[in-house]
Amino acid sequence: MRKELKEYKFDWMLLSCFSAASKLQNGTEKEYQQMLRYIPYFRGVVETVLSTGKPGQRFIEICAKYLDNLVNAKERGYHTAITTFCFSPIIFYAMDIMPICLEVMSVMLTFTYKRGSSDFLDFCNEVGFTETSCSSQRGSLGAYLAGIGTDIDMIVTDTPGVCDTNANAFAFAASYLNKPFFQLDMPPDLTGNRSDEYHREDYKALIAFLEEHTGKKLDLDRLRETLQEAEKQDAMIAELEELARLVPNPLPVTYNFFVYASRFLFAGMPECTRVLEAMLEVGRKNAAEGKSGISNGKEKVRSFFCYIDHYVQSLKFWQMLDEYGICYQGNILSRSWASNAPHVKEYGTYEAAYTLHTDDLDKLIGDIALLNSRMPMIKSIRGPYDAPHMWLQDTLSLAKMYKADFIVYNGTPGCRNTWGMVKLLARDTEKAGFPTYIMYADAFDERVQSWETTRDRFLEFLTVRRLI
Amino acid sequence: MMDAFLHAATSLENDYVKKWKSAGKKIIGYTCSYVPDEILHSVGILPYRIRGYGVGDTAIGDTYFGPFICSLPRCMLQLAGERKFAFLDGIIITPGCDSMRRLDECWRKANDDIQGILPKFHFHYGVPHKYADYTIKWFYDETVRFVNAVESHFNVRVDEEKLRNSIRLYNESRKMLEEFEALRCAEKPPFSGTEALAVIISGCAMPREEYNALLKNFLEESKALQGIKNRIRLMLVGSANDDIELVRVIEESGALVVADNLCFGARLYEDLVEEQGDPVFNLAKRYLAHNECPRRYGDYKKRLAILREKAHRARVDGVILQNIRFCDLHGAENGLFERDLEKEGIPCMRIEREYGPLVEKGRLKMRVDAFVERIRQKRREIA
Repeated sequence: MRKELKEYKFDWMLLSCFSAASKLQNGTEKEYQQMLRYIPYFRGVVETVLSTGKPGQRFIEICAKYLDNLVNAKERGYHTAITTFCFSPIIFYAMDIMPICLEVMSVMLTFTYKRGSSDFLDFCNEVGFTETSCSSQRGSLGAYLAGIGTDIDMIVTDTPGVCDTNANAFAFAASYLNKPFFQLDMPPDLTGNRSDEYHREDYKALIAFLEEHTGKKLDLDRLRETLQEAEKQDAMIAELEELARLVPNPLPVTYNFFVYASRFLFAGMPECTRVLEAMLEVGRKNAAEGKSGISNGKEKVRSFFCYIDHYVQSLKFWQMLDEYGICYQGNILSRSWASNAPHVKEYGTYEAAYTLHTDDLDKLIGDIALLNSRMPMIKSIRGPYDAPHMWLQDTLSLAKMYKADFIVYNGTPGCRNTWGMVKLLARDTEKAGFPTYIMYADAFDERVQSWETTRDRFLEFLTVRRLI
Repeated sequence: MMDAFLHAATSLENDYVKKWKSAGKKIIGYTCSYVPDEILHSVGILPYRIRGYGVGDTAIGDTYFGPFICSLPRCMLQLAGERKFAFLDGIIITPGCDSMRRLDECWRKANDDIQGILPKFHFHYGVPHKYADYTIKWFYDETVRFVNAVESHFNVRVDEEKLRNSIRLYNESRKMLEEFEALRCAEKPPFSGTEALAVIISGCAMPREEYNALLKNFLEESKALQGIKNRIRLMLVGSANDDIELVRVIEESGALVVADNLCFGARLYEDLVEEQGDPVFNLAKRYLAHNECPRRYGDYKKRLAILREKAHRARVDGVILQNIRFCDLHGAENGLFERDLEKEGIPCMRIEREYGPLVEKGRLKMRVDAFVERIRQKRREIA
């Protein structure tokens, strides 16, 4: 790793960037424009996000707040836990534990810096972690392995049974850093009594682990408050998802990203609610005016991403979609599996959804266990891809419901669980009438395939399939 | 004796399999060492570990799997597509790892294009990633589900007494393999690592009664042999390896593989199944507990302790830590093993390889030569 990278804590550096970005529009337009000259590689993010108005401003603010909480966690008396995007942070917030989501940190690095997270990706390999592992964790994990991040108390993941490379990154980190480790294990079946019981018992073991390592008992009333906020957020996400069904879709292309990122950062906390409120305001207004969320107001084609997005520096992926009038109809990360979600109601898949009974303390643990087992990826990619409630069913039903014209797979080469069957999935979605494109890029590492090549191939697909 | 083992280890449809099939009996294949053989044995079905051995092309495997997938399941699918597993009456897929669990879907979908390659009995056997009261319960329920599926499909009944007999028979194997392990670790082992692997693999590809008889004779004969000396003693660790040629390449460099911690190796036969109590529960407990694979996240220290103990017991001069490309579980853990074992003065060498017909023999041999030379040099310096 370059020596200069070790001079400052990497998360403090990120905090400085996002904190400054959150204040950029406090001054005059002239001052704002002047400031952009000083952040040539970060301006794409700043402009794209802030151009969405209040939601963008609030989104940058919560990114800065999350980083501030993280950097100052120990001073403020919080414990810290490295965790993953598919682990709901609700339980951590309810127990005064600062969740450090590796994938979110990797995205922030990828967005912000010209070199993305490449130094940290490579540092993982220097200390013995495999280069073939998923870049979504490696991107920021390298910084923690190098000791240039906030002090860590414990490491918690919930991807065993779903994603080996994800779970393995956390297990490696725990062994390398000699930190306490807990895994929530996911059985291959999502539904049924056996799976429900397994999820519940495993979650109880998690709570025991967290209590042991924080020295504090879980306060059920506090958990209930956090879940009540999460319930409110689920209702707002449901409304946003309902709006996305309209033609044209009134939501700007970046909103989907704001939804899932806000949930990963602050699910169950008012910060997330504020971003969702701002998005709803714009969405409702656009819908009332029959206006598309695309910048030039012209929705040409509707896309559904069946896995994740491409986080190349400066948000170029979203800029491209917006430029070509490609409406973004969501991905696997953004869907809520609350029982009030539009797609759950549409298809009656209540068995695969969760309901929060916040008025019944006895049910809280079971509810949060169920909620956690319905997090992105955890929900859809555990059993065979064509089993009930799994990836194929979810992809086809969502693509159909949101009137997608085509489906795109994008991930990372480290994603063994999807690369093991994505060709089969694409064959099935094509058979169902959806032109399907498999991107061979790495969502977090532009060195695998340059953005220019990724964009050209993507556009070539759209052209060849006469979608644009 | 060794010829029988070598034959079984280097052919898929070996003479034992042919004889079994010609008697009209059934065979079920499985992909991972978490499947309790005893259940199948007790109803007269031959349990057979599916392998990727002998592949000459991967076109079929490449058609269904994506490009970033371990070559072992890819080779297995290739062989299935070439109808090399036509003798199987059933298959069991376990989520040993992400690559292997996707063999389930790839095999099923390949069967749409190459009809008849998927046996009619097809079972997805869920195996938890950790050991706790509730995970044993899950695995027990899963094993009961498996028993029911076998009974229903093959019109047989898993009789408790017969199952106990099968457990006793397999425990006999395990006890003999413990003896075998002691000989393997001895100062002058009576057989090479290549031969040892052939003995172990054969147990996954022939009827247990015949295997035990062969093993018994082999042990008796081995005790009378002079033994191999003056070799660099190595332990082989990491990804699944069912190819004795890999060990042969290592041993051609003047080394002797005297220990391993592989799932097609010593991990298969460590620990007995309890013979008292509910046999299905005892099987579930043993198969979930004994198999120290890195898919059991968070148990690194336990596995390091096992390696230390084995290295000490077998007096190894070095450890080869190998992983198949895209096998991140073993690859990453090998990085930790290297760090910790080297600290303790045990030389280690990490190799990333492709599974397959010795595609990288030259590169492997060069690296092993260098590793053996490193150890010899160290010895000379100490002397």
